Amino acid sequence: MKRISLIHLKAGRKGKVIEILGGANMRNKLMHMGVFEGKEIAKLSHIGLRGPVVIKSGRSILALGHGVAEKVILEQE
Amino acid sequence: MIKKIYLIGNPNVGKSVVFSRLTGVQVMSSNYPGTTVEFIKGYLSIGDEEIEIVDLPGTYSLDPTSSAEEVAVSLLKEYAKDEIVVINILDSTNLERNLLLTLQLIEKGFPTIVCLNMCDDAVHRGVHIDIRKLEDILRIPVISTCAVTGTGIKLLVERMREAKPISRGGLSNEERWKEIGRIIGEVQRLEHRHHTLRETLEDASVRPLTGLAMAAVIIYASFKVVRFIGELIISRVTDPVFFNLVQPSLEKMTFHWQQQGFWFHLLIGDLINGKIDFKQSLGVLTTAPYIEFGMVLPYVISFYFILSLLEDIGYLPRLAILLDNLMHRLGLHGFAIIPVLLGFGCNVPGILATRSLESKRERFIAATIISIGVPCVPLQAMIFGLLGKFGGFYVAGVYAALLLIVLILGFILNRAIPGYSPEFLLEIPPYRFPPIVTLAKKLYFRIKGFLIEAVPIVMGGVLLINTLIYFRLFDLITSISAPVIHNLFGLPKEAVVALVIGFIRKDVAVGMLMPLGLSVKQLFIGATLLAISFPCIATFVVIWKELGFKALVKASLIMIGISIIVGSMLNFVILR
Repeated sequence: MKRISLIHLKAGRKGKVIEILGGANMRNKLMHMGVFEGKEIAKLSHIGLRGPVVIKSGRSILALGHGVAEKVILEQE
Repeated sequence: MIKKIYLIGNPNVGKSVVFSRLTGVQVMSSNYPGTTVEFIKGYLSIGDEEIEIVDLPGTYSLDPTSSAEEVAVSLLKEYAKDEIVVINILDSTNLERNLLLTLQLIEKGFPTIVCLNMCDDAVHRGVHIDIRKLEDILRIPVISTCAVTGTGIKLLVERMREAKPISRGGLSNEERWKEIGRIIGEVQRLEHRHHTLRETLEDASVRPLTGLAMAAVIIYASFKVVRFIGELIISRVTDPVFFNLVQPSLEKMTFHWQQQGFWFHLLIGDLINGKIDFKQSLGVLTTAPYIEFGMVLPYVISFYFILSLLEDIGYLPRLAILLDNLMHRLGLHGFAIIPVLLGFGCNVPGILATRSLESKRERFIAATIISIGVPCVPLQAMIFGLLGKFGGFYVAGVYAALLLIVLILGFILNRAIPGYSPEFLLEIPPYRFPPIVTLAKKLYFRIKGFLIEAVPIVMGGVLLINTLIYFRLFDLITSISAPVIHNLFGLPKEAVVALVIGFIRKDVAVGMLMPLGLSVKQLFIGATLLAISFPCIATFVVIWKELGFKALVKASLIMIGISIIVGSMLNFVILR
């Protein structure tokens, strides 16, 4: 089990969210969209040069800005 | 006694479509989150009662995290809970995410009725929901609907009165998600499907390489199709009407008009070689309708057709992801591309759409960029009409100049205005293929809007200009500004009239350049200046209303500065 940030997860891989760094507002926003500690998500793609990360959480496709993605810490299988 | 009905739901679940179905009021809907930025009211008749119904901006939860969500939540508190009904609209294809809000509504004691929308799409995607079971678990009415076709709407209205508050203990969000997981396990069955072409395209459009390639193809194709349809309408419909029908009848009228006095000047304008020239006569009955209907309207139709198609398919949020990088350099984030694209139709809805951006700083940057560097369809149509005959090189040149101005301006504004660019967090909708009726309705709605806004101002504007010219009232402005216009920008002093008119409407202003017999360089400078200088009065007012007087003054000073710099640079350096 490795703990890595969402930006370091390879596209196409899955991971379980174990921690969301950052302020209450960002945590809340992610929580409302269904991304919270314990949730399993899959990374679909990552636009280079500090671009957004696209993930699949449940049936939703979400785009997270690079700064947000950095703060989502995952446990990779 | 129900006093008010609220429509609430996550962004992009089709609330506005349900609202249109219930009230018959046509409202704008698209396939991306945040089309509705303010609440919209209408009326629904149940029996012989007329009840006010409010379409709230999309929200993921009752603990608001953005200003649009705050609006939604504060409105729910206007009436006592037993006087309202809340219709909670859910996207059947994504039940899990939508249920958080539903649980919150029930826990807070709102009389709620659940509307499982997009049921047809769910079936297509192999999502099966047991509605009876969901009703049993939630203990409130659940109705499956497809608002685009109208399925289930009647049942929704019939069962409205069954919405009753029920008691359910308050949970934390973590506990709610657990509960939702349990509910989903019981009511939802997913059919295993192979990747469809639609899903392959959905994935490809958010990957860096395939995404950029698709974006390039889509933007290029859109541009080509807009031009093709626009030119088709002009050559097959509007030009024949103007040249074979309007011109002969107007000319017949002028033969009987002995005295070419004030009214002749006002209505017909100048005769060119004894004939009416729609591009040069400048009369209320000649050039004004030709500009609006013969040059601008065809492109308005073709532009909004393509834009509406891209909107409803759900492509725009994907473009937002790809451009997020670039937009960050300008102090915005990717989502700002949507107001910018709307601005290409008309700056006013573009600036209104900046409401979906988070901070005041972002809104100011976006609005300034839109009003300076984003030419609206009428202006673009006229630039094509004016410069197109000298070759695509010059037309492309205007776009290149504007793009460069936007990039430099955004870069500077991002550095100069204290603050930060907020982070991007956006839900990407699946591709959906809108029924042609929906698309046609939206197009009709937008074109009607354009005609109502544009035609009176264009007619009135030309009337006013002609009166001023007739009584030589422009001479003063012309002679005062001649040094700037002539020495700095290399334009004849008559061009100042066009620049002043640009404040009323851009298309008429470019039209004013037509009879001046300008060289291609002068036309290029004139068209570019008209694009970047003061926005038309409607845009002016909307910036004032949306961002306040101070922002308007700041934006205006920036515009004047840029106009002078760009105008003289073009004249002295680039186009020598």
